[in-house]
Amino acid sequence: MAEPAGPREAPPAEGLGRVLVALYGVFALAAGSRAAVQLATRFSEAPLAYLLSALAAAVYVAAAAGLLRGGRAGRRTALVACLVELTGVLVVGVLSLADRAAFPDETVWSGFGSGYGYVPLVLPVLGLLYLRGQGRAQKSPPPKSPPKSPPPSNPPPKSSPPPP
Amino acid sequence: MTTALVVPTTVVAALLALAGLASTVARRRIGLLHLVLAAVLEALLVVQAVVAGVRLAGDAALPETATFLGYLAGALLLPVAGVLFARTETSRWAGTVLAVPAAAVAVMVWRLLQLWEAGGG
Repeated sequence: MAEPAGPREAPPAEGLGRVLVALYGVFALAAGSRAAVQLATRFSEAPLAYLLSALAAAVYVAAAAGLLRGGRAGRRTALVACLVELTGVLVVGVLSLADRAAFPDETVWSGFGSGYGYVPLVLPVLGLLYLRGQGRAQKSPPPKSPPKSPPPSNPPPKSSPPPP
Repeated sequence: MTTALVVPTTVVAALLALAGLASTVARRRIGLLHLVLAAVLEALLVVQAVVAGVRLAGDAALPETATFLGYLAGALLLPVAGVLFARTETSRWAGTVLAVPAAAVAVMVWRLLQLWEAGGG
């Protein structure tokens, strides 16, 4: 069915990161297309909810891009995006339950993401856990190898061809 | 947009998601099976899009045409994007990477059907 992957080809963390990127990509698409339609066709009905959908989409794109890019800047981008996302889903979740009038139409974050199987609630937590695991892996560098002897600064003199 | 197409699409998408997860559990990369399933899924979605497009161009009218078209375009993109992305992943997680869009398609076709039936199509 599939060719076996070589043993220890890539650290699983990298692969898991890809899974997160795929999830963020799907949600960027879902939130983005929903926001585009809502903003284009009936912005005046519930501007707050629709702008929130657009914000959510932008945050998902930022998280996906940050995770995909990696490195210091990428991880920081993803960290900020995940925090914004977690705050957003919690605040909007509470507000959408408390004040239904402000959210007549669903957003990805309404009801803590209940319209999307609560994935919007779980996703930032997964992202933060993943980023923390990555940060730990980076903070504990592999044991230093003993300093190598410096390479010879001068190439060995060319051996002259043996005299005939 | 009929259940006659939505049900097989869901089945193939679910099989693709399961095959992806299975390859992750088995510590394998994605193989021919995944590509074939993704191709069948994409073909089913294309058929669905053509059928819906023809009927929309005809007399069918939906209350939310823009939303419907947005979901349709998204669903059409997902298997292709999933395969391309999963093939860049060389670890066993490639299968899970592919399972995510497959599961999303399985959900989206039902949402599409809902939007379609709202128009009495």
